[in-house]
Amino acid sequence: MKSAFSPRLILRLLFQPNNVFKELAELKPSSIAVFFKVALWFGVLPPLFAYIGASKFGWRLGTVEPLSLQKEILLSISVAYFIALLFGFISTVIVSRWMATTYGARQSLGIHFAMITVVGAPLAVGSIVHLYPDVFINILVLIPALLWSMYLLYRGLPIVLHITPERGMLMSSSLIGYLLVAFVSLLGITVFLWINGIGPLMGV
Amino acid sequence: MNGVQLHQVLEKNIGLLIFGILFVSAIGGLVQVLPSLFQESLKTASPNTKVYSPLELVGRDVYIREGCSTCHSQQIRPLVAEVERYGTYSRAGEFVYDRPFLWGSKRTGPDLHRIGGKYSNEWHRIHFINPRDVVHNSIMPAYPWLAERAANQDGDIKNKLHVLVKLGHPYTDDDIESSGSMLEGQSELDALIAYMQVLGTAYAKGDQ
Amino acid sequence: MSDPAKKLSVEIYSDRVVTTLVMFSVIWAVIGMLAGVYVAAEMVWPALNFDQSWLSFGRLRTFHTNVVIFGFGVSALMGTAYYSVQRTSHVRLYASNLAWFTCWAWQIAILAGGISLLMGLTTSKEYAELEWPFDIAITLVWVCFAIVFFGTIAKRRIKQIYISNWFYGGLIIVIAMLHIVNNLALPVTLTKSYSLYAGAQDAIVQWWYGHNAVGFLLTGGFLGMMYYFLPKQAERPIWSYKLSIVAFWAFTYSYIWAGPHHLHFNAIPEWVQNLGMVMSLVLLAPSWASMVNGIMTVSSAWEKLRSDPSLKFIVLALAFYGLATFEGPMLAIKSVNIISHFTEWTIGHVHSGALGWNAMITYGTFYFLVPRLVGGNLYSVKLANLHFWLALAGTILYIVALWGAGVSQGVLWLSLDDLGELRYSFNEVMAAMKPYYLLRLVAGILFFIGTLLMIYNFSKTIVGRRTIAVRPPIESLAVA
Repeated sequence: MKSAFSPRLILRLLFQPNNVFKELAELKPSSIAVFFKVALWFGVLPPLFAYIGASKFGWRLGTVEPLSLQKEILLSISVAYFIALLFGFISTVIVSRWMATTYGARQSLGIHFAMITVVGAPLAVGSIVHLYPDVFINILVLIPALLWSMYLLYRGLPIVLHITPERGMLMSSSLIGYLLVAFVSLLGITVFLWINGIGPLMGV
Repeated sequence: MNGVQLHQVLEKNIGLLIFGILFVSAIGGLVQVLPSLFQESLKTASPNTKVYSPLELVGRDVYIREGCSTCHSQQIRPLVAEVERYGTYSRAGEFVYDRPFLWGSKRTGPDLHRIGGKYSNEWHRIHFINPRDVVHNSIMPAYPWLAERAANQDGDIKNKLHVLVKLGHPYTDDDIESSGSMLEGQSELDALIAYMQVLGTAYAKGDQ
Repeated sequence: MSDPAKKLSVEIYSDRVVTTLVMFSVIWAVIGMLAGVYVAAEMVWPALNFDQSWLSFGRLRTFHTNVVIFGFGVSALMGTAYYSVQRTSHVRLYASNLAWFTCWAWQIAILAGGISLLMGLTTSKEYAELEWPFDIAITLVWVCFAIVFFGTIAKRRIKQIYISNWFYGGLIIVIAMLHIVNNLALPVTLTKSYSLYAGAQDAIVQWWYGHNAVGFLLTGGFLGMMYYFLPKQAERPIWSYKLSIVAFWAFTYSYIWAGPHHLHFNAIPEWVQNLGMVMSLVLLAPSWASMVNGIMTVSSAWEKLRSDPSLKFIVLALAFYGLATFEGPMLAIKSVNIISHFTEWTIGHVHSGALGWNAMITYGTFYFLVPRLVGGNLYSVKLANLHFWLALAGTILYIVALWGAGVSQGVLWLSLDDLGELRYSFNEVMAAMKPYYLLRLVAGILFFIGTLLMIYNFSKTIVGRRTIAVRPPIESLAVA
């Protein structure tokens, strides 16, 4: 099962992604097991790192003086971040499962949970950079993490979901389309919350 | 006939299709844009809003020519922080003599709507010749050629004023007659600075 | 000039004008994107302005937008419109000599227009900067374009007018309406005019025009391209005919209203702003309807991906189309717009559409079309695949860089300290943007290199070959 190789999985993803994909292709993991034993803990990392970093250092958006937020607001933002990631993760799994019909991929919900967890892992681990919340440094670190995630998606999806590379390419591209929309929604929701008081103090 | 069948009538008749497209696309403009062209409040000058003097007009045309609105907006929004930074928010009545409008879409540099009176002529002079002489990390291009061009280089100030009168601007015949002499000895740089200094002065500092 | 087809009076499609337009489109892409890279570099190193008026950012940026939209974009639309209207009507272009006129007259207009912009002859109204003599010239060429396009449809051999022609038709009709109304002005001299509209009224008219130039040229026209070329490449019909009907009319109706979202919290009536916001949100549905149609069509054609690099471009183009047509309505929401207005976020949004959708769908279409026009194979599939990854990387990096920049700008400008004072000076915020400008420059360079690979690939494909003669599939040959 998924839980058997949780920490080693990430290391192995780095050095032997193909082997990991081949193993996953043989498995039929349980959604609950994947979610509660692996995915949830990855999902906690970004908000946790963000909370620690922001409360210790304050968010730097490129100016000399950082933006600091009151502890209560910081807590609300971190919780909102976690909920957003949770929603993003679950919705991506559901969308992936829904697309599986069109692309002739495996329909087991558990394998989609596993697939998306694996694809998201580099970003979750890369979020350690939130410990120093400088926006630009975060972008610099998270872009390679994003590229790695995209590589895992394009490479791994057809193997894990038992479809041809071409169908995998199409399905991956459709998922990327969904993820872009999901991310920009996150931006929009974030900004909306800020304007309505849950965020830095602004004169609007 | 259901919708699809109705549509197939359109699909077999290019004339109907063209008319359909024109009709459907015109509705939005008729409802949303046309009324504003008749709305008095959008064409009435606010108190203290005057026509541009010949020198300011030339300056404004230089601003347009050099593409300044690519990086600078002229539109202060009614937001607390914005009003604190730039001055009281922009009203429609201040722009009735702006052809075309120069509200801009981008603030690579700061908003300029109420820059009038904020900096001295000398500051502007140095800034336009080389922005980095007063703002060390500025990314604004330098405009040294403005100092070398005469304000009435193109000799068309009277034509400009005639056209603006046709468009409803209240210039008198005297204004037009004397416009040429008002530009004598002035450079485009002088004109642009004059335009900078009049911007936003319809509302005095501290106005709400 | 001896034309064997003419001697025999055999009707062939008028495709040489298509090849010429495609060639010019790619040339303008290179020139326009080079200008884009240059202005991006000027924002990092202003010394690159070299104190020259014609090179300065204010003028060169306008050159960039006009060349990519009207040079690259319109040439591509004209070429693909001429190609597809013939084949969906099974008839040669109406007045093909007039088509040649539109091709060359347009290129001359763009060249002369581009030079005039560098000379500072501009109205400053975005995407309508060319002064009045050019406005008139463009209108004349556009009327000729309409005559050729609609004339071809009028003499069609297939009764039903295919959907791609509705979108191209919409492009022609609506852009004409917008162009004429927005550019109304009184001339002062040959090179200067004053707008008929002033101030707030001008703002409303300008963004009715500006947003719908995006809507009907950059969105609608390219949807026409997609609706013809995607089924051709996938060798399958569009997934849902009914959906395309709903999509087209809802799109044509709703897009027009969205203009005022460029003017939120500006000095225009609030009802106009709110209406613009609501209709921008409504617009999401018909936009995505076309995206769904495209994705579902291409999804069943997956086996073609093995040999066909162009399909990769089409698929990602649809994904970015989905992003851009989602982000647009989102940015039109007033609360979001408070942060995003006047920031780099808007520019990022523009380029997710311009690079991710417009450029990529055009590139995909061209990779399909160019070999077919000259009856040969693409010189290098490997180069095309490399181009794809460069384009994808460049687009994503561009968007991410400007998301970071734009959101930061928006927040920092509005931030107050506990005393209610402004926290940051404008200058501090501006300085913080430099690293993002550098990232964006790298992104643009990546995208530009990809475009260079493409023009090299096409020139090697075309060299030594001519446009092949193709007959419409009709029963009898006309005899003189």
